[in-house]
Order: sequence, then C-alpha cells, then structure tokens
Amino acid sequence: MTRCLDEAKLQSYFDGELPIEQMESVTSHLASCTNCAATARELEEESALVMNALAAEFDASVPTERLRQRIDGAVLGDRLAVARSSERTRGFFSGLLNFGTQRMLGYASLIVMLAFAAIFAVVKMKSTPAPAPAPPEVAKLTPPATGNVDDKKAATPVALNGSSNKTETPVKPVAGRTFRTVAYNRPSAPAPKPSPVKLMPGERSYLQTIAKLDSTIQSNKKSMRPALQVEYERNLAVVDRAIAATRSAAKSNPNDPDAADFMFAAYQSKVDLLNTIADARVGGGRGH
Amino acid sequence: MKLFAVCAVAGLIVSLAGSTLAHDENKTDKPGEKIERSLPVDSQATVTLCVASGTLTVHGWDKNEIRVRSTDAAQIEFRRIDKIKDTTKPAARVDVMVMDKTASVKPRFDCQAVASVEMEVPVGATVQVQTRDGDIEIVGVSAAYAGSQNGDITIERATKLVEAGSIGGSIALRNSSGRVNLSSAGGGIEVINVRSATDEDTFEVGTVSGDIQLEHVGIPKVLAKTVNGTVTMSGPLAKAGNYVFNNVTGDVVLELPHDASFQLNAKVSEKHNIVSDFPLKYLNEPPPPPAKPKSSPEVPPVPAYVLRRVTAICGSGDASITVASFGGTVRLKKI
Repeated sequence: MTRCLDEAKLQSYFDGELPIEQMESVTSHLASCTNCAATARELEEESALVMNALAAEFDASVPTERLRQRIDGAVLGDRLAVARSSERTRGFFSGLLNFGTQRMLGYASLIVMLAFAAIFAVVKMKSTPAPAPAPPEVAKLTPPATGNVDDKKAATPVALNGSSNKTETPVKPVAGRTFRTVAYNRPSAPAPKPSPVKLMPGERSYLQTIAKLDSTIQSNKKSMRPALQVEYERNLAVVDRAIAATRSAAKSNPNDPDAADFMFAAYQSKVDLLNTIADARVGGGRGH
Repeated sequence: MKLFAVCAVAGLIVSLAGSTLAHDENKTDKPGEKIERSLPVDSQATVTLCVASGTLTVHGWDKNEIRVRSTDAAQIEFRRIDKIKDTTKPAARVDVMVMDKTASVKPRFDCQAVASVEMEVPVGATVQVQTRDGDIEIVGVSAAYAGSQNGDITIERATKLVEAGSIGGSIALRNSSGRVNLSSAGGGIEVINVRSATDEDTFEVGTVSGDIQLEHVGIPKVLAKTVNGTVTMSGPLAKAGNYVFNNVTGDVVLELPHDASFQLNAKVSEKHNIVSDFPLKYLNEPPPPPAKPKSSPEVPPVPAYVLRRVTAICGSGDASITVASFGGTVRLKKI
C-alpha cells in the first residue's frame, strides 16, 4: 500500500486543484486505502457542512463594480486627507525650523533621546526571533476580484459578504504580527482548472460503504486480537490489489460493462470482508 | 490459656475456610471433573452454544434430549428461550450457557468462556454454534449454523441447511443435503458429496484468498466466488443446472465426465486461455485480436486490458456454466 495522503492534498483534491494525473492517482489511492477513504469522507462531510451553512453567501452576487468604486473612493478620500494634513503640518514645521539657542538645546536633547531609543529598539529587535514565513493559507484567503461563482468557493466566506465594511479580511497573526489582506485585487487571468475525475457510476456508494465499515472497524481496532488483525490485513491487501487491477481495466475500457462488473465484484468482496470483520468485532453473541 | 486461644483461632480459621470451599463447590463443579448436563427437548429443537475459545463438537442422536459435556467448564446451564412459555412441554429453543473456571467471581456466560464442549442433540435439531479460536465439528443434524474466527469448521451429514463462516480457518462439508452457504476469508473451502433436499436449494461458497474445491455437488444452482483463489469442481453436472464461477485471480478448473453436456459462457482476460478437453462448438465468433496501439517514442504504450467473451456449447448444452475470471485460466478437463 502506498503512503497515505495528507490532508492538504485531499483538500486540493476535493477543491479540484490538483493536476489531472494527480487527481487520478488520488482517486485510485482512495479506492484502495481505507484510511484515506475515511479521512476523505470526513473532509467531504465537513466541506458539505460549510457549503450548506454558507450557501446564502455563495449564492448572493458580489457587487464588484460598485465595490471597486467605493474602495477607490475611500482610497482617494484617504489621499486627499493626507494631502490636507501635510499642508497643515508644513506651516507648523516652518515655525519649528526657526532655530534659537534654547530651542537648539531642546532639539539636541531630543536627538540624544531618540538615539538612545533607536539603539534600544535595535537591540530588542535582534533578541526577538525572526517571524516565521506566512503559511499558504494567507495567500488563499485573498478572494478573487471577479464575480465568478466557482472562484468564490476558494475564497474565505467572510470576504465574500456583500458589505463593503468587510472587504478587509483579518488573518491569523503570524509570529506576533497582524497582517490584513485586502479583498480588492486587480482582475487576473483565471488559472486553467483541471476537470475533476469522475467516479464510475455506482463506485461512490461502494466507497462510502467501505469508509463507513472501515471507520467501524478502526474505532475499536485496539481490541482486535492479533490473529484476527493479521488475517484481516492480509485479506484486505488481496482485495485492494484486486480493486486496483480491475479498476484500471474498467477505466481503460469505459464502455465495457463487463470490465466494470469485475471492479464492482472486487468492491463487493471488500464490503463482504469488512462486514465479516465488523461482525466478528462487534458480535460475539448468539445470533438469535 | 494461651495455648487454648491459639487453638481456638486456628480452629476458627480452618472452619471458615472449609465453609467457603463448600459454598464454591455448590456453586461450581470441581476443577478437572467432567461436567455433564442434559435436558429433554423437542425433536426439532433449536440449540445454541457459544464460547470464546475451545473446540465445539456436536453430534446428532436419536433421543429427544440434549446432553452437554465439558472438562474445562466450571458450570453448564440451560436457558429456555421458547416463545411460548410452557414448561410442561419439552424445550423448543435452548441456549447452552457455559461458564469457565476463570470466571468464578463474576460469571461470564455470554460467549466468554474458554472451554471445549461436546454436545449431543436430536437429529432433527437446528444447531447454532460459535467459537472464536477453536475448531467446530458438527455431525448428523438437520440444520447447522457455525462460526469461528480462526478455527476450522467440519460439518457432515447435515440434512436441510448448512451455513458456516470463518475468517482464517478452513471449512469442510461432506455428505450433506439442503441449502448451503459457506464463506471464509483466508481459509479454503472443501465440499464433497452434497445434494439438494428441495428444488429451491442453492449452493453458495466464497472466499477471499482461499481455494475452493467442490466434488460431487448435486445442487443445480451453484455459485462459487473467490478473489485470489483457485476454484476446482469435479463430478457430474446436474441436468439444467446453473453453475457460476467468479474470481479475480486464480484459475477455474472444471473436471467433468466425458459425456458432460453444457453451454459455456466465459469472460476471461485476453492474456489467459480457455483450455478444454471437450470439443466446444463456439456460438460467437472469436473476437479479433486487439489492434496494436501506435507507439510513439515519447509516450510508452499503455497495455490495455482486453476482455475475451466466449460462448460455446458441448453436447446438447444441458447445464449452464458461467465463468468470469479477470486474470485466470479456465480449464475444462475430462475425468
């Protein structure tokens, strides 16, 4: 059995972000690895839960043009305010630059104090550890500027709220710093999205059944006796190899129902095996 | 005076110990002794027996009584589970409760005992026996349900029904009749001389990695499936019988009489053959050889799986044989 998939890869798989060849390998792996299938199922359920909860936000259209105008207006307003304040401060500084003897002493003491403060700050900065690199989620949290509904799913739901007050998305502080990502970006060319691998009709239900049975077995695997566990693992490997082989054949012959029948027979064998093991584990009583 | 006090205390201790032992003897039988219990039952009673570990042996006899013996058990009891509680009639449903010697403090009746048990039941009885680690032997009953995780199961002379399942052990069924359903994950299945009791009887056997060997199976509806085992069937075919053999890897070997009459429907891999000693008349044209994919130096050709379908007839085609083998060879041998 190959190495188990990490959660990031599984999430990318469900988001359709993996290249086509990786999608296929992940699909194949999920068909043969009960652990990963169980993890995938949990992940899928969580995603479904979130998607359902935020369906209203996803369905609402994003007022991109209006939003952009408002943001532009806000930015322009800020610039004007800064310009006005700089005009005001220029008059203030012209008075300050009028040097006298007492004022010179005052400035000298202020410079000494600032120098000490700078030295202290440099020493303190050297003693603090360098901030860790931002995790990839930071980049992911920036929502797209266009109103493409599919692209919205990749963005954080908070940023997709129609209110302009929520265009700035707070991100988790990284190493003591707080970053804020701005929701407004220049429209960029959408990246080509790989088409998701379609499971064969009926395959998903087998995978779901297998995942459920596997979670039942795994939930109390510690109490499984070694002899039973050895037999279980051995036969599971046999069935998984059969599934992988028949699945490959079914994929290469998509129009041949007989090829698919072999695959489903192999899946059914796995379901039967897991049922037997689950019964042996939870059972032990009389079957009246 | 001191001597009297010491003697009195010692006597008190001895008497208390003695009374405790006597109390235990009343509760459980002496260790090492064979315990035997019996109960009158209906001639078609259903009897269940369940232990965690130990060999279970069940024999049918011509008495309307069940008798249970064990040398390992500390206690054996019967629990009547008749739907109609009428103690004047013999029991129709009985649970045999076995308690082993390690369970003297807290009784562990429910399938937790570690004990080998022998039992006699009426020949018309239905027995349900289950053990985790031990072997099971059932001989001469009407219906047998047997389950073991790692032990071997042997059943003989069952007359109406046999259902047996094992995970790591093998299953053997001999000289029986009626509906048959046998499954083992890692063990093999061997069936010799089985026939049908009614027209509705079916015969189903399945393994994951164990071999299946069938000899003289007279039930007309046969299904044998395995993932990674060899299926071998020898003996005459039932007229108008329907035989289905499925596997993923492993061969299917059918050893049939020289005058066997059957129609063969086979699905096998193009890479594997159908080897027949019988003259087969092909009803469908053999499929053309697969076109060789154009190979380019950059992309190596992917070997495609090609399925081969064969429909052929031998004799007048009385019985139907359907074989689906993903990666095995089908052999038809004359005996």
